[in-house]
Amino acid sequence: MRRCYSTKPIEDIEAELEQKGSEYWKYLLTKAMQDKSLDVLEHFVMTVSVDGAAPDDVGLIARTFPYLRVTHLGATDWLVTLNARTLVELWRDPRGRLFAEATVSELSQRGVCPVFNELAFGVKVGAS
Amino acid sequence: MRVKLLYHTDLGAIKRVLSQKGVPFDPDAMMDHVVYMFEIEDCSRVTTHQLVRHRAVSYDQESQRFSAATREGVVTPPSVQSNEVGFRAYDESLKVVYSAYEKMVAAGVPKEDARYILPSAIKTKLVMTLNARSLMHLVWQRTALQAQWEIRELASTLHRLAQESTPELWTKIIER
Repeated sequence: MRRCYSTKPIEDIEAELEQKGSEYWKYLLTKAMQDKSLDVLEHFVMTVSVDGAAPDDVGLIARTFPYLRVTHLGATDWLVTLNARTLVELWRDPRGRLFAEATVSELSQRGVCPVFNELAFGVKVGAS
Repeated sequence: MRVKLLYHTDLGAIKRVLSQKGVPFDPDAMMDHVVYMFEIEDCSRVTTHQLVRHRAVSYDQESQRFSAATREGVVTPPSVQSNEVGFRAYDESLKVVYSAYEKMVAAGVPKEDARYILPSAIKTKLVMTLNARSLMHLVWQRTALQAQWEIRELASTLHRLAQESTPELWTKIIER
């Protein structure tokens, strides 16, 4: 997002982001969420291993959310790749909420992107 | 043009999950799960117009609404550079266009409106994220001899960076 509104070279932008720290990330993400500029979230992609999910349930979210990629690993196990925008859309849709909650919980437990989890899903930083 | 691989999926992590499940590594199936994020600088808008025709890719491009254009920031094709008459015509028209752009901005015309006059040769930068399947399709189409020189150069670089970062995936697919 920052890159699209600046003529500065990559290195300068990266140094600026590094220097300003998490508060600046928080500001940028808050603005993206408020402006509904969710396209910037598409660059954050995650792959999760899903165990114990029925084919019908996985099929429903795979059909409903076309940017979700699913590979069947056997029985009720799956490999699912999605971006943060799709995760937000899953969270907001009753058909995807359960999957989104499980994914956000996993991200939180692993300490992945705590600022985003707090802003997008209300997960408190530091909470288990 | 500068191209930087900002991120790619850790293929080793995916292979560990597959191994735990007793599932053999199938490069073709994994192409949907391996993702690359590139930053591209100093390519022309001619090329990015061609690039965005590739779907299932996330793009964020430098905004001309907010960033000012400069005369130095244009790409000149080799066929123009090597043609004396052609280059003179190219250079003269750019001078006229940029002079008009600068006058408009100085007179208070918003950059988002003054940009209507800017050429497709203008340099731009963007971030693009795509999976290996989409990248392979892009590389296949845009490294073909019929593709234009600039996007061919870009596609070749994307291919090289992807192959260097995840050699096993690309080698196995190419072997097939």
